[in-house]
Amino acid sequence: MQIRDYIVRRLMVLPLLIVGVSIIVFTLTRVGGSPIGIYLSHEMSQEEVAELEERFHLNDPLPVQYAYWAAGVVRGDLGWSGVAAAPVTDVFLPKLAATMELAVSAAVVAVILGIALGTFAGARRNRLPDHLTRVFSISGAAMPLFWFAILLLIVFWVYLGWFPNGRSTPEVYARIAHPTNLYTVDAILAGDLGAFRDAVWHLVLPAVALGYGATAIIARMMRSSLVEELQEDYVDAARAKGLPERLVLRRHARRNALIPTVTVIGLSFGFLLQGSVVAEIIFQWPGLGRWMADSVLRGDQATIMAYVLFTSVLFLVVNLAVDVIYAYLDRRVVLGQ
Amino acid sequence: MVDEAAPVTTRAAADSAWRVRLQRGGELSGALLKNPTTVTGLVFIVLMIGMALLAPVLTEPNTPDPYQMPRDWEALAVPPGSPGHPLGTTNVGGDVLYGMIWGARTSLRLSLIVVSLTVIVGVTVGSVAGFRGGKVDEFLMRIVDVFLSIPELIFALAIAAVLGPSFRNIILALAVVFWVKYARIMRAQIIHVKENEYVDAARMIGDSPWRIYRRDVLPNSITPVVVQATLDMGNIVLVGATLSFIGLSEAGIAEWGVLVSEGQAGISAGRWWASTFPGLMVFLWALAFNLFGDGLRDVLDPRTESAR
Amino acid sequence: MTMTDPGRIEPVSATPVASVQNLRVHFRSKTGIVHAVDGVSFDIGDGETLGLVGETGCGKSVTARSFLGLVPMPPGIAAGGSILFRPHHTCPECDGHGCGRCHGSGRVPSACETCGGAGCDGCGDTGHHSVDLLALSSREMQDIRGDRIAMIFQDPGKALNPALSVRDQLSEVFYQHRSGELLSDVGLDGDGGGSGAVASLLRRKASLRTRRVEDALLAIPPLRGRRNELRAAVTARVAGALAETQIPNPLKVMERYPHELSGGMRQRVMIAQALACDPDLLIADEPTTALDVTVQARILELIRELQDRHQTSVLYISHDLSLVRRVCDRVAVMYAGRIVESAPTDEIFANPSHPYTRGLLAAIPSASHQRGRLVAIEGTVPELVDPPPGCRFAGRCPHEAPVCRGNDPVTSTVSPDHDVACFIHNAPDGLPDAPAFDRRVR
Repeated sequence: MQIRDYIVRRLMVLPLLIVGVSIIVFTLTRVGGSPIGIYLSHEMSQEEVAELEERFHLNDPLPVQYAYWAAGVVRGDLGWSGVAAAPVTDVFLPKLAATMELAVSAAVVAVILGIALGTFAGARRNRLPDHLTRVFSISGAAMPLFWFAILLLIVFWVYLGWFPNGRSTPEVYARIAHPTNLYTVDAILAGDLGAFRDAVWHLVLPAVALGYGATAIIARMMRSSLVEELQEDYVDAARAKGLPERLVLRRHARRNALIPTVTVIGLSFGFLLQGSVVAEIIFQWPGLGRWMADSVLRGDQATIMAYVLFTSVLFLVVNLAVDVIYAYLDRRVVLGQ
Repeated sequence: MVDEAAPVTTRAAADSAWRVRLQRGGELSGALLKNPTTVTGLVFIVLMIGMALLAPVLTEPNTPDPYQMPRDWEALAVPPGSPGHPLGTTNVGGDVLYGMIWGARTSLRLSLIVVSLTVIVGVTVGSVAGFRGGKVDEFLMRIVDVFLSIPELIFALAIAAVLGPSFRNIILALAVVFWVKYARIMRAQIIHVKENEYVDAARMIGDSPWRIYRRDVLPNSITPVVVQATLDMGNIVLVGATLSFIGLSEAGIAEWGVLVSEGQAGISAGRWWASTFPGLMVFLWALAFNLFGDGLRDVLDPRTESAR
Repeated sequence: MTMTDPGRIEPVSATPVASVQNLRVHFRSKTGIVHAVDGVSFDIGDGETLGLVGETGCGKSVTARSFLGLVPMPPGIAAGGSILFRPHHTCPECDGHGCGRCHGSGRVPSACETCGGAGCDGCGDTGHHSVDLLALSSREMQDIRGDRIAMIFQDPGKALNPALSVRDQLSEVFYQHRSGELLSDVGLDGDGGGSGAVASLLRRKASLRTRRVEDALLAIPPLRGRRNELRAAVTARVAGALAETQIPNPLKVMERYPHELSGGMRQRVMIAQALACDPDLLIADEPTTALDVTVQARILELIRELQDRHQTSVLYISHDLSLVRRVCDRVAVMYAGRIVESAPTDEIFANPSHPYTRGLLAAIPSASHQRGRLVAIEGTVPELVDPPPGCRFAGRCPHEAPVCRGNDPVTSTVSPDHDVACFIHNAPDGLPDAPAFDRRVR
């Protein structure tokens, strides 16, 4: 099967999965009762309530309600967020920017560090660096993000005072314009080095906290696939050609070991997405995750629906992209079931 | 090989699967105990479960509900080493040590209930899909795919939010999210095992599908489920504590995530203990089951051994 | 036991290209030390094809891999012995084109560094430079691998990197061993001529030492042209090497990835890669086992032909005696970590003198055998964990006598250049009950 056919087929399944997710999301919120609550106040009469229910199609059967909701989503109408006191669509983008800035930083840290660590350990199998990396990655899988983040804050913010909490220093925030809401990018656009430094400084702790788990997963996968590749014949063949060990590792073994690691990078993106909820709460980061957490505690159904739907779609798209990259990288792969 | 004795001999091979398994049991536990990290995991598991079981002995249970944190309004936010509070108290006077010990009991309850629920549901669904195949399989797997499209924690968060904040709902939410993995593992295993000759042999001698499933397929496919269940004993506490931390449990129950959240308020004032100790428990719990589960996988599934 | 008796006839050229002396390679395992190779000695004559034959697990592959230091240690242990290798260099009179002095091979043995070719104790009076392959530093070993000694692996599907194109894999050999020539192709001397940053960058590129940033730099227009010149020089060599192995359309094939080629083509690529630097010794580890029978013959022919043209010495590892008969000048039979018999090919087939060799020959199905009846040697290969002294074939041998257990067999010469390690030919004095070919134990 050609890579192109494979992509086409995956793209065809994607909408089905998205519809499936949306059905689950919709059902879920209806289980919690009618969403009429947020529009109600004590002064309303029976007639007014009935009118509202009529207006929002809440008297129709559930499938019809779903159709109305889904049509709204397609039009870009995600409902009213009680927590943000604004339509979901209006607040979504700036918050998304905040989350993306954090998640992407964490992902960059995790990918670079994870691959480096995994290579380092895999090439020194069963020696001290390997054992240390193993401890590092097993701890990463077991580390509660909420605890790790708080420890980082206690040490580096409370006691050492090296890094700040929050997303920016208020004065610096006020100093420059924020067209993209990615503070690092905004600072570069404004040509303000101090603001850039401030943005990066605020990113360090949350990115490290969020990235640890993903780093651990990637390092572990990289390590084990490198160990596997190093036992392949072509590695000996490369040695038999007279290549120095450094090139055997870099040009031959690592290149192939990266292929299975790519799939794990996709999975760990899901890790980053869900971790951002916790990281944003603790580091007071004004992104989607914190908004979601607030909405969960205050029953803001429109936001919950929008958030779950959005993260799932993002997760699906990222994994599709990763699978395509995988198929491209691994030329041996015979695509199909 | 269409000769008459063949089904019988392969059949005997399948029958002795359990006996071989038992025989191997000794070797397996020997291999398990050889690996120092696995032993470390096991020791921690025993300590933690011991702590959970002995909670009423280790501390004076709170009345009327021992799962509620006792409040000492005379000693708010005292540091570790204070009289009566060896590990200090939270901002609202909850004894940290009490929370750690009874939190172990809460966590054990949580993980046992969720793991048994999800294993039963997952194995059933996966078995039906894998064993029946065809349209049933197609349908069930599409559902599984959809479930897997939503990141675990976010899914659980949404469910718990809809059901309302309570510890019981966290259990329910986790059960809804975590069964999918088992369904998938089980289905893959069964499809793999079904291709073995002894299954064909059993079919040839006219065994009923249920009998084939129970005697030949299930025992030979369950191993990865056992490994996953061990790992999930840790993961579920990790995710459960995260949900509690976010605020989806009742406030004031003796649960590690709740305690960390309670302690978080004090960290800017330098009161590090109330978050650190309970969080450490979550970490150790998850670590212990991860270490042990890893060792178990190495021993049960020798194919991956070389890569470790 | 030793096979290098002074009395035997020397091979084609005066000095063997490699001499293995009492090689011992052991492996640490859970149950004990496995004596995988336990005192193996043989010579490979210059231009000779030596077949090393034995069953799976007899230690033939480990022996071969020891030449290139490819036995993983740990778990492997270099337990002793040496592999003397006498590297050649380009013949100064004909510049590699072949002349009388180098017997048309284009290569001559390098002279001993101590005596300058006169012969001294250091070179065993041969006058040839020699190195012990087991005592080389990893740097020195790298220079020999792929350049002076090359290897063809059993399964070309596994021995070629799936992620690199044929061109990438072959050019590595040239970059690694011929970077000087490549540089002079693009107008840079190996050391002196051409200075400046560009030249040093190209020099690094030509020996695969560039980092990713430097590669990116070389892809930018002003430097790009120079880089492409270098690339063209490599491409020409790669194409030449591929053409040697009769690959049609080498320029097209080199852009392919291994999985896009047939098994036979892959093995041709492997051979092209191995012979790229015109090595003195080619180690072929069952090069046709993974191929279809029809392809096998053509690959064998190709190896034979290339060997004739380049007068390369070959160590041919195989479990297949009938195949060895077609390719090899001389055969050494290995059993359980030891060599039991060695002789010129015709001699060993005409007059097999070790019971194991006889068994092997009998096991070859031939047209004269009755259909449906295959002969096998009874019993199984012994475990080689901490073995006691004694003949390793004892227990399976139909001619076994009490003396065979507890005493290592002594090597004796049956006829010139035909050695056997069996008591049948060397009845021990003072020890009663020597084995004989007429004995039948079972």
